[in-house]
Amino acid sequence: MLAFKNVSKSYRLKGVKKTILSDFTFEFPTDRNIGIMGKNGVGKSTMMRLIAGTEPPDFGHIFRAPRISWPLGFSGGFNGSMTGIENIRFVSRIYGQDTKQVIEYVTAFAELGRSIRLPIKTYSSGMKARLAFGLSMAIDFDVYLIDEITAVGDEDFKKKSQAIFQDKLADSQIIMVSHSPTTIKQYCDCGLLFEGQTIRFFDDVSDLLSAYADLNRR
Amino acid sequence: MKLITTSDLLSLQVRVIASLVLREARATFGTSPFGYVWAIITPTVSVALLVFIFSLVGRQPPFGSSLALFFATGILTLQFYAELSNKLMTVFDANRALLTYPVIKDVDTLIARVLLIAATYAMIMFIFYAALILLGLAPLPARPEHLVAAFLATWFLGLGFGSLNAVIFSLWDTWGQIEKILTRPLFFVSGIFYVPSQLPPQAREVLQWNPVLHLVEWFRHGFYPNYNSTILDIWYPVSIGAALFLLGLAGERFFRKARF
Repeated sequence: MLAFKNVSKSYRLKGVKKTILSDFTFEFPTDRNIGIMGKNGVGKSTMMRLIAGTEPPDFGHIFRAPRISWPLGFSGGFNGSMTGIENIRFVSRIYGQDTKQVIEYVTAFAELGRSIRLPIKTYSSGMKARLAFGLSMAIDFDVYLIDEITAVGDEDFKKKSQAIFQDKLADSQIIMVSHSPTTIKQYCDCGLLFEGQTIRFFDDVSDLLSAYADLNRR
Repeated sequence: MKLITTSDLLSLQVRVIASLVLREARATFGTSPFGYVWAIITPTVSVALLVFIFSLVGRQPPFGSSLALFFATGILTLQFYAELSNKLMTVFDANRALLTYPVIKDVDTLIARVLLIAATYAMIMFIFYAALILLGLAPLPARPEHLVAAFLATWFLGLGFGSLNAVIFSLWDTWGQIEKILTRPLFFVSGIFYVPSQLPPQAREVLQWNPVLHLVEWFRHGFYPNYNSTILDIWYPVSIGAALFLLGLAGERFFRKARF
């Protein structure tokens, strides 16, 4: 289960207090894909970090039983002076996966050729993203977090990523932040809408999208 | 409500810390071709320098017959302590990026670093003292069990100071400079090149407040059969270490939100 109980979170920057969540209670459905929408700066990414557990709430509790991914395709956790292989090995170790198998999978998937044995700092951003995407696919997560899906690589690679991702979705759930109604419609079947002060849950994705459109028109 | 079981959490903790230790080892020693060799050269040079200066002015060892052993017990101990206290200071900032992975927490990175430094220094000290003994520059230790205890106590004190440093530094980074100034006199007040018990009582009164001095004395008590320190109180550094470590952990928890 993944649930927020009386969670409050705010930031104070140069004396200006910005409230993201106040006394928010919500239990995420476990068998559905959830979209998170809202205008820029309302705290969608903070919400993702709270869900992942990379940031603590100010008050309240977050209950988190499933294995939750880091934001898909995010490569900020890599160590630049370590090689691709070493980074893969580290991540698969902390998640208790079969290291050898993960290395084989990611090597085959990310198509980095011999660069996989070079330090990550020599990679282009596309190469890094491919490695990060392959790595999150190699580990069995119950919930994938996606903060704005970003397609990387050429057409073939995009097709391959999408096919693998669809495959994953058969037994995993996704929680996705996006501004794009098409993407949300493609992947999600329900969602949360950040409306400034309140957060509303929509059981049906088309209701979410029309409410989001209203919000933008206002 | 079904949540993760305690044994799952424990195995996760062990796994994360073990992976972090390996990663840290790779980051610390893997970048230079000499890696571990440097770690042992640094204290060797410091000891050799002191031995050189003392023999140049024709001085007798302050205690026992070996200058090298006497200085080593001082320098290696102080260096082990200082390494912990320094390297832990930046541990939260240095590993910020790792918190991307939800399973890694701040304290894991601290524990991993502490374990790696302990393993490194256990090796350095073993090699160094074994070399002194093999070269005939030192006798076999009189109380090896005390050497082990002194090592663990030094580790614990460093862990205490280091974790408190890490918390203070994460909130206030000028602390890095201040700590440097505050700990600089340690070289002179930790009994590295003199026998504290032979000092006048007024000096002992003051110096006995320095926990590192007790640790140096403890190592010597382990090596020399008749060191007979009048200052050594083994519980003093241990309790200071415990108090600081608890304070550090409490501070980590209390100011956790301020770090984000």
